[in-house]
Amino acid sequence: MYRLALNMLFGDRAKLAMLLCGLSFSALLMAQQSSVFFGIMSWTYTPMVNIRASIWVSDSEVEQVNDAKPMRDTDVSRVRSVDGVSWAAPLHSSIMQARMPNGKFKLISLVGIDSDTFAGAPATLTQGNIEDLRLPNTVLVDEWGANLLGHVVIQPDGSEKIIPLQIGDTFELNDTEARIVGICRVKRAFTGGPFVYTTYDRAKAYTANVRRALSYVLVEPREGVSIDDLRLRIERETGLKAWTSDTDLWHWKEGSLARSTFWWFWKNTGIPFSFGTAVLLGLFVGIAISGQTFYSFVLENLKYFAAIKAMGASMGVLARMLLLQALTAGLLGFGLGVGMAQAIGRGMIEKGMPPFVMYPQILWATFVLVLGISFTSALIGMVKVARVDPASVFRG
Amino acid sequence: MSTATNIVTAVRIHGVDKSFGPAESAVMALKQVEFEARQGELIMLVGPSGCGKTTLLSVIAGTLRADAGTTEVFGQRLDGLTQEELTAFRRKNLGFVFQSFNLIPTLSVRENVMVPLLIQGTSYAEAAAKAGEILAKVGLEGREDGSATALSGGQQQRVAIARALVHEPPLLICDEPTSALDKDTGGKVMEMIRELSHSPKRCVIVVTHDQRIFRFADRIAEMEDGRISRVVDDPRQLETPSY
Ligand SMILES: Nc1ncnc2c1ncn2[C@@H]1O[C@H](COP(=O)(O)OP(=O)(O)O)[C@@H](O)[C@H]1O
Ligand SMILES: [Mg+2]
Repeated sequence: MYRLALNMLFGDRAKLAMLLCGLSFSALLMAQQSSVFFGIMSWTYTPMVNIRASIWVSDSEVEQVNDAKPMRDTDVSRVRSVDGVSWAAPLHSSIMQARMPNGKFKLISLVGIDSDTFAGAPATLTQGNIEDLRLPNTVLVDEWGANLLGHVVIQPDGSEKIIPLQIGDTFELNDTEARIVGICRVKRAFTGGPFVYTTYDRAKAYTANVRRALSYVLVEPREGVSIDDLRLRIERETGLKAWTSDTDLWHWKEGSLARSTFWWFWKNTGIPFSFGTAVLLGLFVGIAISGQTFYSFVLENLKYFAAIKAMGASMGVLARMLLLQALTAGLLGFGLGVGMAQAIGRGMIEKGMPPFVMYPQILWATFVLVLGISFTSALIGMVKVARVDPASVFRG
Repeated sequence: MSTATNIVTAVRIHGVDKSFGPAESAVMALKQVEFEARQGELIMLVGPSGCGKTTLLSVIAGTLRADAGTTEVFGQRLDGLTQEELTAFRRKNLGFVFQSFNLIPTLSVRENVMVPLLIQGTSYAEAAAKAGEILAKVGLEGREDGSATALSGGQQQRVAIARALVHEPPLLICDEPTSALDKDTGGKVMEMIRELSHSPKRCVIVVTHDQRIFRFADRIAEMEDGRISRVVDDPRQLETPSY
């Protein structure tokens, strides 16, 4: 009987198409919107991913990584003197204007790293050599930024082409020359601006007007010292705030700056609300279209269900038939919708905009919701079939 | 040799009332009905529209509960059974042929015929084989895999007959099986019902007001205004019925 139930479902192509449209559209909307949501949220703590250090020490007022409160240079040595610290290095982070050779200004994200240890340097340099940062007036630019800051040339056929910045190109920061000695690959950030890396001391020079240039102190514990113990000890002894640098959304730890950043954006921006709305919309559209279509599928087949009932099918069998039909449609809709979301996401990742992170958890949640929609539809169908009078089969 | 046969009662209805609607404006569809059908016979239930034929058939089929009286089918009292027991009873004992065919349009001819077997728990392969056999008997060989609704009315009713008999039920119930068909087709369909269903172990009850098929009946019970008015052995005894 269950095979017939499926054939009944697949026999009506138009209805099935409608059903799958509704279900896959809501799956698409839910999966895609939550993936973009998590993508954007993951951009909020990008510095935590790009700049690797076990412990980040900040001013005690700091709540999220993008909003560093300046500290005194002497704080670096205060942190260094805490027992268990292997090394501690200064980090500068700020947003500033870069003046390009064509005279235009562009916003950039300036990162100043310790010139002795290069602590916090990007993990991957696609061109150039990190040591060259020790030469006067030198910077690294990230790949994406190199493109964004590149200059536009009009080609003979009239089309525009962007020539990315290359090693040797220069621009100005605060009227001081910045010469590119390397191109790095880093994760993009919520704050937008391309990343320009330089040494901590030169970052101070570039931001001449800023009195305190120290944003964070990056710390590595000595061999055998636990990150958590050291973090708490630094906080106790310096009165500063010390954070862990883990970035795994689903397993982050006590004192994670990424987590604090995530929740700061959650509470203080409209991002969760707008994406939550889209996800809810997907859910409602799914319930409306799929519920409605499945309901009309049941309604259209009601006299046949009544006939099957008259012929002696128990309500249990009929209920399982409906459930099978609804869940099959749900599974197909889920597969199609998530497939489409993946395809769209791929396209987005290639363009780098907007960010897209489809966690397995998103797939599970979408799966549960879509099957929930199907299940609800099946229940409504069951009520209808349970109520139909088998005697009605004799009436035209 | 003696030709005397044992008459075995298949269906016995005694003192059955059935009314529809609220008490003050109730329609009495069945009034103290007395009715019997025997094993091995094809009995027709005839009478004008609205006289209660379908209602009586529904009570016999166990799809409708009477308000009063007793309903006995193959010695089994239906009036005491629970809904589940009634369902199981229908599954085992009944074949249905409806006026409006009630074939499932999204299923193939063969799958439609398989339904009663599948409901009984027969495997798909076995049900398919049995459906194929009986479809050959109703002359629809080669049409098994097509859509049921692509067939003509007469052919659809033949599919319905195959479906009603595929699980070899002891009781076959047909409500106006020819009234959606033209005269010739209706005659042929009735002939087929008679030919395929007739068996010493089976009771066939056909509701109709189509006089041209009266001749296929062993006996005819005439209904009038919720009562069985008379039962005859020969249609000629019903001179010029008013319907
Ligand atoms: N479900 C119902 N609700 C209300 N009245 C009904 C219902 N079924 C039958 N009736 C009434 O009962 C009477 C007998 O109907 P029915 O058994 O269908 O007659 P027949 O089949 O002989 O034409 C009619 O008056 C009809 O209107
Ligand atoms: Mg009727």
